[in-house]
Amino acid sequence: MLSEPAVDPAAHEAQESAVQARVAELESRFGDPDDPANPLGTAGLLAADEAGELPAAGERLLDDIVLNAEFVPGEFGGRLDRLDSLARVMRQVFRRDVALGLGYGITSFMAAANVWTAGSEEQRRRLAELLLGGSKVSVAYHELAHGNDFVRNEFRADPVAGGFRLHGRKEVINNADRADAFALFGRTDDSPGSRSHSVLLAERDQLDADRFKVLPRYTAVGVRGCRLSGLDFTDCPVPDSALVGARGQGVELALRSFQITRSAVPGMAIGALDSSLRTVVRFAVGRRLYRRSVMEIPHASATLTGAFLDLLTCDSLALVGTRAVHLLPDETSVYAAAVKYLVPKMLTDTMYDLSIVLGARFYVREGEFGIFQKHVRDLPVLSLGHAGSAACQATIIPQLSRLARRAWFSGDEAPRSLFRPREPLPGGIPFDRLALASGRDSLSASLVAAADDLPSGSPEELAVQGLVLRMLDELRQLQEDSLNLSPQDRTALAGPASFALADRYTVVLAAASVLGVWRGARDGDDPFLADPAWAAAALHRLARRLGQRPADLPPGCEGRVHEEVLRRFHERRSYDLYDTPLSG
Amino acid sequence: MSVPATDPTANTEATAPTAESLSSWLADRIALYLKRSPSEIEPTVPLAEYGLDSVAALSLCGDIEEDFDLVLEPTVAWDYPTIEALAGHLVEELQSTEGGSR
Repeated sequence: MLSEPAVDPAAHEAQESAVQARVAELESRFGDPDDPANPLGTAGLLAADEAGELPAAGERLLDDIVLNAEFVPGEFGGRLDRLDSLARVMRQVFRRDVALGLGYGITSFMAAANVWTAGSEEQRRRLAELLLGGSKVSVAYHELAHGNDFVRNEFRADPVAGGFRLHGRKEVINNADRADAFALFGRTDDSPGSRSHSVLLAERDQLDADRFKVLPRYTAVGVRGCRLSGLDFTDCPVPDSALVGARGQGVELALRSFQITRSAVPGMAIGALDSSLRTVVRFAVGRRLYRRSVMEIPHASATLTGAFLDLLTCDSLALVGTRAVHLLPDETSVYAAAVKYLVPKMLTDTMYDLSIVLGARFYVREGEFGIFQKHVRDLPVLSLGHAGSAACQATIIPQLSRLARRAWFSGDEAPRSLFRPREPLPGGIPFDRLALASGRDSLSASLVAAADDLPSGSPEELAVQGLVLRMLDELRQLQEDSLNLSPQDRTALAGPASFALADRYTVVLAAASVLGVWRGARDGDDPFLADPAWAAAALHRLARRLGQRPADLPPGCEGRVHEEVLRRFHERRSYDLYDTPLSG
Repeated sequence: MSVPATDPTANTEATAPTAESLSSWLADRIALYLKRSPSEIEPTVPLAEYGLDSVAALSLCGDIEEDFDLVLEPTVAWDYPTIEALAGHLVEELQSTEGGSR
């Protein structure tokens, strides 16, 4: 067992209340979603979406509270100290509008993560100045022809005397038309392989305006308000000082810094599922069919309970992913990929389940339930952008056999603090301590260690225990299968079985996260999270996702979770681990 | 299908591997990743030119660690991109770990 970080209770209190205050301020400034006169209510957000614009009132609000400060480390004048807090604050924006969260800011954070990780003091200072002044920064990595295979990128940054010459196109780039700076990923060497690319930070004002142009805007299925376009450079010079980190370090830098954003962004998007669940609960409580409310129809009620459990599962994994960056930075490569793979996938699956309860309303673009179809269209962008699902699985695949040999069933368990939502963390994000691969897995070790130490008093506790043992069987099977992977099945061109293995592993990690959060909450002051009912029911769903056929849950288990769905609806509290008060 | 768990050249107890034995071990292993014959892989041609992708390079790194009981930077196959360069680096690494306190 690792030692727990020392906790100063006063500092703890201060950290937690500062985050709560930021969350509450955003919530109150966004106002009542159901008020038709509120430009940031659902009617206003839907109108902006129909017009293909970001809501102007939303951008003004985020400018006004200097949301960009959330993306700037404290040492440079911002409020970025903890990744779980960043996800928690941004969730308030995504709760209302995914396009606003992404289009206003998150791509600036993705660009900035590279600079915080490897930029010079001067670059970091300048970037902080830009962001705190309200500028957008585009992350210009993507080329349509190469997808996530960015080692094959063709955009050139040819080294010339005094700097580099940019040539080529970057496509589907958020805010390319209005960003004040671009983080560009370009080829600086003709050799094949992973040491031939570099990251450059170029300021728009310093570029020769005749040598680059913004490409036409793309229209997309979702996030219609996002200004997705591209950049086309023609022998455009940038100075040496634009280089971020060392020449040839681009791939490594991307793999390192994107661990931070991949851990954090899915947790933000949970806000959209939270609002969607609330929308469908309202429908189910209000609408009458077969002489009863939809909520009294067993299938509908079970679907809503299941959606709430999936949300809690996603939040548990996202919590662990963000806190691991601080507590287990050398293990984060796998956890970040697991979060970025599984959370968006579960969010999308769960939205589909919810759409069935909403029925035909799900197809209506305005009115009381119109926001639902917007979230349905917006959420899949999370699975597409910034490492697609398959690319995340490909990050996990080459590590499986090593984890199977060295880590599973042998390593030390994670510190308890990994699983505790409000607990303080050592300050600052350790950008320099993230590793590209690890031979350890403290998260699954926590699952293994817990198995011998679980309470078995109540039927719910016994259910948790039984489900944990099934998860250990799964991990044992994963170990065996991982050791038997052929060399070809450990490359980017691996067969479907390798991808399925990575998928199953992420589900086991989600189970370990749920279990950890429940164990961490048992002595806490949240009676719902302390109750084994939700943990048993969430693990049960994960077991079924793995194709297992676990024993039925004890009677009352799902009822307890269902009560909580209703309580949070009527008391207007969020459906995530934080049980946050909401406006309206 | 599983790969051979150990190779005689990996037995550091008996004779320390040489650049030559390491080169042939690497060629054999890389051939499995690329579905080619070991003789087709020139020791001085960058492995990326044969299509060894970044995922496979990381897997290869794990194989080396396992068979030679070394801990390597995951970027080792990027910085030593040919069989010759990689074998040379591994000889140095093995010598330094042998000299150190293991």
